[in-house]
Amino acid sequence: MIGYLTQVIRALAFVFIALLLCSIIFEFAGFSAPLMFQSIAEGAFMSTRAWQNSLRWGLPLFLTALGVVISFRCGFFNIGAQGQFYMGAIAATFVVDGLNGQPAFIVIPLTFAAGILGGAVWAAWPGILRVRSGTDEVITTLMGNFIAGLLLIYVTSGPLKDPSGTGQAASSRPVGELYRISAGNSLSPTIIVICVLVGVAMWVLVNRTSFGVLSSLAGRNPIMVVWQGAKLSRLGLVGFVIGGGLAGLAGTIEVLGPIGRLSSGMLPTHGFTAILIALVANLSVMATAFVAVFFGGLAAAGLYLPVLAGLPAAAIDIINAAIALFITARTWPKRLTGLLRVRRETT
Amino acid sequence: MDDTLIAILRSGTPLIYVTLAGVLAQRAGIWHLGLEGLMIIGACAAVVGTVQSGSVLVGLGIGIVLCVLASALLWFVIEKLRANPIIAGLGLTGLGLGGTDLAVQAIYGSQASVNAPFGLPRLGDAFGQYGVLSILVLFMPLAVAGVWVLTRRTRWGLQLSACGEHPFAARSVGVNPARMRLAALCLGGVFCAIGGAELSMGSLQIFAYGMTAGRGFMAFAAVIFGAAHPVGATGASLFFAIVGALGIRAQLLFGERVPHDLLLALPYIATVIGVWISGKLRGGAKAAATFGELRDY
Repeated sequence: MIGYLTQVIRALAFVFIALLLCSIIFEFAGFSAPLMFQSIAEGAFMSTRAWQNSLRWGLPLFLTALGVVISFRCGFFNIGAQGQFYMGAIAATFVVDGLNGQPAFIVIPLTFAAGILGGAVWAAWPGILRVRSGTDEVITTLMGNFIAGLLLIYVTSGPLKDPSGTGQAASSRPVGELYRISAGNSLSPTIIVICVLVGVAMWVLVNRTSFGVLSSLAGRNPIMVVWQGAKLSRLGLVGFVIGGGLAGLAGTIEVLGPIGRLSSGMLPTHGFTAILIALVANLSVMATAFVAVFFGGLAAAGLYLPVLAGLPAAAIDIINAAIALFITARTWPKRLTGLLRVRRETT
Repeated sequence: MDDTLIAILRSGTPLIYVTLAGVLAQRAGIWHLGLEGLMIIGACAAVVGTVQSGSVLVGLGIGIVLCVLASALLWFVIEKLRANPIIAGLGLTGLGLGGTDLAVQAIYGSQASVNAPFGLPRLGDAFGQYGVLSILVLFMPLAVAGVWVLTRRTRWGLQLSACGEHPFAARSVGVNPARMRLAALCLGGVFCAIGGAELSMGSLQIFAYGMTAGRGFMAFAAVIFGAAHPVGATGASLFFAIVGALGIRAQLLFGERVPHDLLLALPYIATVIGVWISGKLRGGAKAAATFGELRDY
């Protein structure tokens, strides 16, 4: 319990340092930092409406972040959540667009299957390259993000283009009302149920199965796992595929649910935020749920800031980036810890 | 032919400068994924500095100072706080992208891009068709040669490699890996600022949000592809530039039959293939990696 508490305090401390760095940047750019943070809090958590928005943005992030948790636990640095999210959304849109007119009970499950498969396939090829030829997964998944982003632009302005689309960003035809799992840009019980089910399933997978135990061992001590007789490459590949599948699921939910269509350049920082959530949660499934709602709140505030407070939305990107800069820190500077120790000994 | 060569030099030069920064960091044992952020800081500072002060040199200078400061921040976080270099680097990239957006909005209101009245000095008529290129293109081979001499032919460069490959050996002869890494990152910051300035002021004289479009990451891939050797990595980034230029050429030749966005993906695909081949040739990483963590022993 004490260990658990220390971890929470440590994460909070580094988030606090990140926010300090942000205030310095805000003040330099000529914005009032207290006003900025106050507006962000208002946009994220200060009203029922804000809470609903936070959950709306937080739940898809939660799914993608769970995927990141699984693959990081296996010891593979899958930073391609963004690309896998896009590929899931693209595959789902192809199915729901192609089967337009069929009964909903056939179309919706098929769409989900296609979305999950799309994400899983986009995670599988870096995984296979990694375990078979040792190609560094950091680069392949990163490049996969860019390729998937360009593919998204291509399909929304080519094969899936909405002919009646008006200027602005290219997008696909809106998903038919019949197939939507939430009304308008908002939350629905269906989405919450899916997220709870997936969350529970992943918790069981990580904490109550041999795969969970071996994978977290693989992440910390790969040589040990090999000596135990487990197949490191298979563990890693499964981690990759589950991670990609969950990101694809999040993409499917965005297409069938809140956004209701595929649009080019949609949610460009989704994957990066998901990685952050996984790291802030210290790769624990339970903690991921809470942290995801916090970052969902930040995302909601990002839409609130420019409209209602007249502040630039880039502030949210800066906060996210600053947290990323500090969250993996493991120690304090030696001089600082030395100082603290001296003080404790003298008092 | 000349047009294609100009296009290659134009898109390749910023990439090569940033690649050199990556080479220095990689040799010191740091996986530098903050290149993208440093590059956009350099690009933004060059344009905004030039607009505000009316001098290209001042703009470039501001860019260099900011990039060195950002590099020092990255060094502090990964060396003193022992953060993971990959995640911290991605954070620095995000900070650069968001920070430049915020800075532009703070100075010019909600404007999407900033135009500079004039760019970097051009080569001029003496070079015929190539006169439209900026003088930084001419300095690029010098910079590559300089980094080659620095890393391969000086005591400092060999000590730097030792810090990356076997920090314990470096320590045993009295070299401080932490200090070497700081020097490598800060020198890299200078190169990133120059690369960013070339990107924004070399031909277009414009800064737009997110204009680096993954070039920093591509430079990092070139470092891996070129085995962190200055000449090899430069060759790799030239290769990426050639693939990109050929894609545009194919666009002109085949017109609408080849989708434009898929051609834009060619350099990224080439990067994946390049890293895959270099992994095959050199054996690659077999076990789960150490996530690019810094080593002290």
